[in-house]
This record gives sequence, C-alpha cells and structure tokens, in this order.
Amino acid sequence: MEEEKGLTEIKLKVRSVKRERERKYRDYPAVVDNSTAAHDFWEPIVHLGLWDIKGHQIVKGPWGGGRVEQAKKRPPREFMVIDRASFAFYSHSYGLVSPFFQGLLEGKLMGTKCPKCGTVYCPPRAHCWNPECKVADCFDNWVDLPPAGVIHTFTVQCLAAAPFEHMLPFSMGWVQIDGADTTLPMLLHIRPKEIFIGKKVNIEFMPKESRKGDLMDLYAVAAVSDEKPPEWACLQKDTKEMESVENSTKATLEFIKNRYGIDNSPEARGW
Amino acid sequence: MPKANRRVAICGGGIFRPDLWHGENAEEGVATAYQDLLRQCPNLEADDIDAVMMSYFSDHLNQQLCMGWIIQDYLGLHNKPGYRVESGGSTPLDALINAYYMIQSGFFDVILIPGWEWMCEVDVASTNEMIASAADTDWDFPVGGYYNAYYAALEVRHMQLYGETPEDLGKIAVKNHNNSTHIPFSQWVSQRGTAPITLDDYWNSRTVCWPYRVLNNAVMSEGACCILMAAEEKVNRFTDTPMWITGVGLGTDSMRPGDRTVDFVYAGFKDEAKIYPDFVKIPKTPYPDMANFASLHVAAKRAYAQAGITNPLKEIDLMEFFAPYDGVELCLYEDLGLCGRGEGKYMIREGIVDYGGECPVQLSGGLTATGHPVGATTLYYTTFLYWQLAGKVKEMCGPDGLQVPNAKRALITGHGGTGCQGGVIIFERD
Ligand SMILES: [Zn+2]
Repeated sequence: MEEEKGLTEIKLKVRSVKRERERKYRDYPAVVDNSTAAHDFWEPIVHLGLWDIKGHQIVKGPWGGGRVEQAKKRPPREFMVIDRASFAFYSHSYGLVSPFFQGLLEGKLMGTKCPKCGTVYCPPRAHCWNPECKVADCFDNWVDLPPAGVIHTFTVQCLAAAPFEHMLPFSMGWVQIDGADTTLPMLLHIRPKEIFIGKKVNIEFMPKESRKGDLMDLYAVAAVSDEKPPEWACLQKDTKEMESVENSTKATLEFIKNRYGIDNSPEARGW
Repeated sequence: MPKANRRVAICGGGIFRPDLWHGENAEEGVATAYQDLLRQCPNLEADDIDAVMMSYFSDHLNQQLCMGWIIQDYLGLHNKPGYRVESGGSTPLDALINAYYMIQSGFFDVILIPGWEWMCEVDVASTNEMIASAADTDWDFPVGGYYNAYYAALEVRHMQLYGETPEDLGKIAVKNHNNSTHIPFSQWVSQRGTAPITLDDYWNSRTVCWPYRVLNNAVMSEGACCILMAAEEKVNRFTDTPMWITGVGLGTDSMRPGDRTVDFVYAGFKDEAKIYPDFVKIPKTPYPDMANFASLHVAAKRAYAQAGITNPLKEIDLMEFFAPYDGVELCLYEDLGLCGRGEGKYMIREGIVDYGGECPVQLSGGLTATGHPVGATTLYYTTFLYWQLAGKVKEMCGPDGLQVPNAKRALITGHGGTGCQGGVIIFERD
C-alpha cells in the first residue's frame, strides 16, 4: 500500500513538472537532447524521500573492544539502526572521446591513433600516454576499427554490483580489437565451456533502439561457432572447475528468477 | 628547527576488531581502538600528539563527507594538524608512509594514525558498487561493476600464462583461514569459530567469479585501528620495543588494467617477460601484462634499496600482503622478488609461505579471513607485525598465537584499484 502511494506521488510530480533545459548549457546548442526529458522523469524519483528515514530496527548485539570471546561474553546492548537512502542524478561529459560513444550509438567501433608514436588506443585516449609523446593530441585522429578481436582475459560472474545484478550470470572480459594496441572490457555472450584466452570474437551491437552510449551497447560473440577450446585452456581443462562454474551459474539463475522475476537462462535470452 | 633524516618507529597499535557488523558507529569504534592504544602505551597523552593522519577509503559507504573531522573531534584531538589520506585499498599504507615522511622530515615528532571503515551499512551488492566506483567509471565500471570480476580476470590471465591451478588458490585460502583461527580478533573467528578448514571446504565453497570461490575473496568489515608513530627521540616514552621503519616504497600503474598491453612506463621491464610457456598461442605482451602488479614491483624495489635488502626471501622473516583475492598473494610472491616470474605457485606448494616456512605470509589470516575494513586494514596487520617483532604474539593472541621465533624484519604491502596503486614498508626491530 505504502509503495503504491509513493508511485502515485512520483507520477503526479512527473506530470506537474515541465522543465527547461538546464541553464549551464544556455550558450551551447543541443545537437541531441534526450537529457531534459530524462531529468524531468528521473529527478523527482531519485530525489523523493532522500535522507528521510524509511524504517528502523532495534538490534541487540555485542559491543566493546577486545577479543571476539570477550565481546560475546558481555551482556548485549540495544542499538537503533535507521534506514535512509542517498542518490543523485549525474550529467557527465564523455569529453574529447565523445565520438567513440556517439559511434556506439551508430553501431561503429573506433579508436584514436597517436600521430607521434602510432599507438592505436581502444579504449580511445584523447591524449597519448607514451611519455615520449608528451601528452600529444590524439582526439582528431580517429581510426575505424573492425568489429572483431581476441579475448585477452575473462571471468565468469555469478555475483555483480547492485546495478548489474539482474543480468547475472554473465561472462565479461577484455578484448583486444583487431588493429588496437590496448584492450576493451565487455560482456562475452559466450558459454563458459567455450571461453578461452586467445579466442577470436566478433563484436555485435545491441539493437539500435536500446543502445545508450556505454560499453553495454556492445558484446562479443564467438567468431567460430561451436569452437572447441584448445587442450591448454585453463577453465575447460579441469572438469571440476567447469562443474563448479555450472553449479554456481545454476544457483545464480534461480536467485535472479526469485528476486527479479527474470529468466536469464541461455534458452530464454539466447546466450 | 626540524631535524631531518632521523629514525622513525611504530610504537604500538590499538584495535577495535573487524566484524561483519558492529552496533558501535565509526567514531565510537575508533575511540575503542584509541582506548586500546592508550592501554598499550600508558604514557601517551594528548599533548604528545603533534598531528593526526586519518585513513579511510569511502565517502559513499556512510553518507558522510569529511568523517575525519568527526574522528578528531570525538577523540578530543581537534586542535591538532590533521587530514585524511585516501588512495583506495592503499589508503592505510599510504597514511603510514605519509606520517613517516612527516616525522622523518623533522616537522612533527609524534603522529597518531586512526583508520576505520564501516562497510556494511548498505547491502553487499551496493558496497561492491561503491567500491567499484574506484574503477574507471566510463570504461571499466559499466561492465559488471565488480572488482571481484576484474581481479578474477587478471588471475585467469596469470593462470593461463604461468600454469598455477585452482588448487594453488585453494591452498592459499586454506592457509590464510587456518592462520586466522589463531587470531582472537578475527572476523572469521567471530562468524565461524576456530575450527580449521580443509581443501574440501574450499572445493565446496561456491564460485563467485571464476576462478575465485567464496573463500578466495576479501570479506566486508566494520572495524578500526589506531597506530602510534614517533621519531627516535620520543620513542622510549611510549615503548621498549619500537618497530623501526627502515624502507618505504610507492608505485603506481595504469588506471585501466586493459591498457597494460602497452604500458610505456614499464617498457624497461620487457626483458622480464621471457618465460611465457610455449604452448600459450596468444598475443604476448610484456610484463606486467594484465597479470602481475608492476606498481608493487617498483614499490618493493624502492623499499629494498632504502633498507639495504638484496634477497628478500632470505632477509625478511615474515610478510603481510594487502591481498583482497588469493591470486594477488600468488602474484606478489613474484612481484616482490621472493621467486621468479611465474614461480609463485611453488611458494605455496612447497610450504615456503606457511607458518614454519622460510617466509610466512599472512600469519594474520589477511583480508579474506581476519578482516578488511579498508581504512583500518593495513593498520591491523601492521599491529600484528608489531606483536611479531616485539615477541608479543602469545601475550596478545594467547598460547595458540603463531609467533615467528626471533622475528627481526617484516614487510607489509598496500594495494589499490587493480594494482593502480601499490606500496611497501619494511619494519625492523633493534
Ligand atoms: Zn604517442
């Protein structure tokens, strides 16, 4: 009931606020603006009830210094524990490497090339970090990169930070894009039994309408389908490890289904 | 007139033990640790303290900026020069090194270093999110937002290049948890008791981010520690068993681990990359690659040079690593020069780093078992080393304490980001 009331309040606020584009951009034209609408929608939501105490509990627990056993022997004390939220809505500039992220929106992969030493950066750097180049400008020297590369390293994740939890389980890794000297982190839409260091991958993009302008707009898929990992591949050469990964993955799928009502099994989401 | 280039020592440490949750808040926890320090150093008066060097990592975890001001106020030290040092996981080590520089320079004689972190006010997934915002939020964070995953990927690369196995990581986990059962201040002891664990327990613990299982990862903690550091002229007032700082070293590396394939500033290390096994048919990149920790390598070289150490394995009696994941411990055996590149696995297989071995590592149990409230972490382990060099382990931990007989010289590391920041301190007793 309480929750429903909160949502109604948010909806009312969203309807009642019609905001202008923020003053700080006054002298600068917006080439694209999805942002003002996002502020209109999200700010009331993220601001609503901040610092307001949502609940509390009285916990009877150990206290005081010393060893564990000393603390556990003392008569416990009551502690009042309050619940309050903190959040904000950030407008962050991608700076001089913005073209990379604009490229993502278009389904294009780009890097920067240092005009002095020739290093190709993907992730792009606006300035070269080779000390010999003395922070040379690279930001007008973009190179198109192919949607293909090699897995430099990887992991299979069964836990993640809060914003990514609902997507679990997944594999992530760093991919050296063909023609680039550095490596780019991304999700690997590849089953654990097929992932190995040195594997050739293709880069694919999310459908255009769901691209947002960060590295989650792209992901790697196997360049060769049903490729068998080489016998030295560190994950697959040990059946106990594959078993542990599979068991943990299964438990994670169940947890996500219970907590978020989302089915992330390969059959349901296709990877 | 400041007197530069004098000796500087740790005179004692006070502990408010790490645990998953404390009813006390941060300032009360620091005060409890400070009380403990005052018991260890009964001559210590507020007037003795020339400055306060505060160590805490996150502003997000407790909805509080400038918590250092609360701490100085709470301890009644708010008329002293003081500020906070922050560099991710290296925070407490860098606070120690900073205080050392300040005393060694001659401007201050006695510095109090309080460290703390209260990491469990938000849920674990959110704590991980807030910690991972120390990664590059444009480039690394958006993919999973989880240091555990980044470190797992680094370890996978090291494992593929050099051939250690999950069992090696398991042996490190078993060693450290069992060491932790000898520490009566340990979070593991509080949560799980003092029964030893076995490799079977390790195999049964769940994979979090392959190859790391639950037991390979740092715990979330709340806790505090206060260290007292003084110049040689003042040391005797506080302790009969000073632990001298005889070498310090700092190092850094790229923010994004993925950029270490062209790590220009470490180009001189290329000759150390020769031992990639032939069967690895993958692009070869020079040390440190995305596997080892160059920041720690250079930090150790600098600390060894100052302390006059040429063979750390032979010349140092025990070590405490800032190793939030067990692969970090294995890599640091190599990066600190205890063995050759790629030979870390033999250090654990041959028992060299066990209690009773040539160079025990993590006799404290370390971050994966005993506790890891970031700002206090290295201060705890410095305090445990202080007990070791003072011969006080059994006095402080009871008859089961793992005292290294006649320990004279110890090493501790700091480690932030994905090895973005590293530091080493060498301690010695008279
Ligand atoms: Zn350049």
